[in-house]
Amino acid sequence: MALYWKLVKASLKSQLQYKLAFAFEVVMFMIMQALDFLLVAAILLKFDTVGGWDLYEVGYLFSIASLVRSLYRVFANEIHSFEKYTKNGEFDQLLTRPVSPLVLLFSRGINWNQIGGFLQGVLMLMFALWGLHEQGASIWAALLYLPVSILSGALIVFSLGLATATIGFWTVKINELLAFTHYGPLNAASYPMHIYPGWLRGVLFTLIPVAFIAYVPSLYLFDKGGALWYLLVSPLIAFVVAGLALRFWKFGIKHYHSTGS
Amino acid sequence: MIRAEGLTKYYHVTERKSGRFATLRTFVAGRMQKVPAVQEMSFEIPKGGFVGYIGPNGAGKSTTIKMLTGILHPDEGRVEVGGMSPQNQRKEVARKIGVVFGQRTQLWWDLPTRDSFELLAAMYNVQAADYDKAMGVYAELLGLHEFLDTPVRKLSLGQRMRADLCAALLHDPDVLFLDEPTIGLDVTAKNRIRGFLRDLNEREQKTILLTTHDMDDIEQLCKQLIIINHGKKVYDGTLEELRATYPLPSVLEVEFHGDVQELLLPAGTQYDPERRVARLSFDKQVTSPMPLIDALGACGEVRDIQVLTPKIEDIIEGMYIASR
Repeated sequence: MALYWKLVKASLKSQLQYKLAFAFEVVMFMIMQALDFLLVAAILLKFDTVGGWDLYEVGYLFSIASLVRSLYRVFANEIHSFEKYTKNGEFDQLLTRPVSPLVLLFSRGINWNQIGGFLQGVLMLMFALWGLHEQGASIWAALLYLPVSILSGALIVFSLGLATATIGFWTVKINELLAFTHYGPLNAASYPMHIYPGWLRGVLFTLIPVAFIAYVPSLYLFDKGGALWYLLVSPLIAFVVAGLALRFWKFGIKHYHSTGS
Repeated sequence: MIRAEGLTKYYHVTERKSGRFATLRTFVAGRMQKVPAVQEMSFEIPKGGFVGYIGPNGAGKSTTIKMLTGILHPDEGRVEVGGMSPQNQRKEVARKIGVVFGQRTQLWWDLPTRDSFELLAAMYNVQAADYDKAMGVYAELLGLHEFLDTPVRKLSLGQRMRADLCAALLHDPDVLFLDEPTIGLDVTAKNRIRGFLRDLNEREQKTILLTTHDMDDIEQLCKQLIIINHGKKVYDGTLEELRATYPLPSVLEVEFHGDVQELLLPAGTQYDPERRVARLSFDKQVTSPMPLIDALGACGEVRDIQVLTPKIEDIIEGMYIASR
């Protein structure tokens, strides 16, 4: 753990070497996220609801999705950009260290400039919850559940990322694949699942289980016909998915040992 | 210290189809082919050994190093480093070895050089006192003080390589694996690194295995040579033994000034009348060059004399060809 903090501090120092670029990127990420949401807000203000969910309810899904996405990118960006390790053979070096490669990856890049997305997510969440409160809805359950929601959501996103990175042990390139396992699914998770066709919903509940990031718990939190036990499902799914992803990752490393890709 | 027994590693290559839709058919129906990268490689390196592991590009040098360091698992055979298996006890072995890939740095690109050392020390749990001691010795010997506070990305290649060597030594490993540590360096930088490595090997008895294409590295450093070609070991022994086993003639080259009495030149002399240069091959083990010089000197006024000893390149080149 001491090592981790040392490495984290080092990565902050690294990125502050380019102060202007750093500040610029933080702001850029915030603006990009805000623009995304403004687009949705514009549509919602015109049509009132998406699949029966109003601006603030969609805003909640949207902000949770962007919070967990940013958290993942801040803390595990090296897993997101794992292609450089498989492509340039940089993974070799990780295997010459007396520490597990996953720990090294985590500590190699705390990607501070993604913190902009996180801050934007916080602002958006406050906006959504404030709006819901104004409408007279109870937001206490959502507030209390927030830490669980964010942690289990981040774990799901991380697991998807880790599984994608692992595929890189075979395919070497993964950046295109990320459209299907990261960007696409997280955009999908920003809206209520029932607006999607059945087959896609099936995928989002099973193979790429982003439905559990925000949608499933909010069915109960905002009284959309969900039951109390829905709140337990998300963290449970998150742990299962993470366990599977870790197994797959270990299997991938074994494959790497035997082929060198 | 290092023992390899019957190491074999295959690469799986998809057999390429040719003709129409070649890529698609390769993807769908291509058969995986096993291509040996390293075959039946066995050797032993004692503690304090200094081994040059050489061979042409693609001969299997890097694959061997990856098996010795625990990055790759051999398909057949066994490796032992310091009595442990790099495959089954990867993390323990990692503490005992230092690895430098000449083409890639292990330092944090954007941080001052010193920070990388501190991070690595933390990663290997090096105690503060040991860290200070190691830095005291190696930073001094490698002349790192002038750029300890410079970000790694601003270092010259030579400086970076020195810093990388220091980084690989902080946890006091018994064995060093160096993959082309002098690649791309100028003569001064190479000499500095060679001096350091020789010292390290002699004074601290560190076992060193390096791969290189630079024959000076081999001549000046290596006590033992392992030559690999097409994945197979073709030679294992000292440089002197190599020279003795595969003798190549030395060449006496004499440049004349003015007229030359070509008829008087000893038998077997090649003479280039335009440059007025005579070349005569002889075996140093059997003949002394003096009588030959006298004989040539009798043919005209000598401007310059050179004795060209056979280059290690030529010997090894000959071995590569012979092992094809």
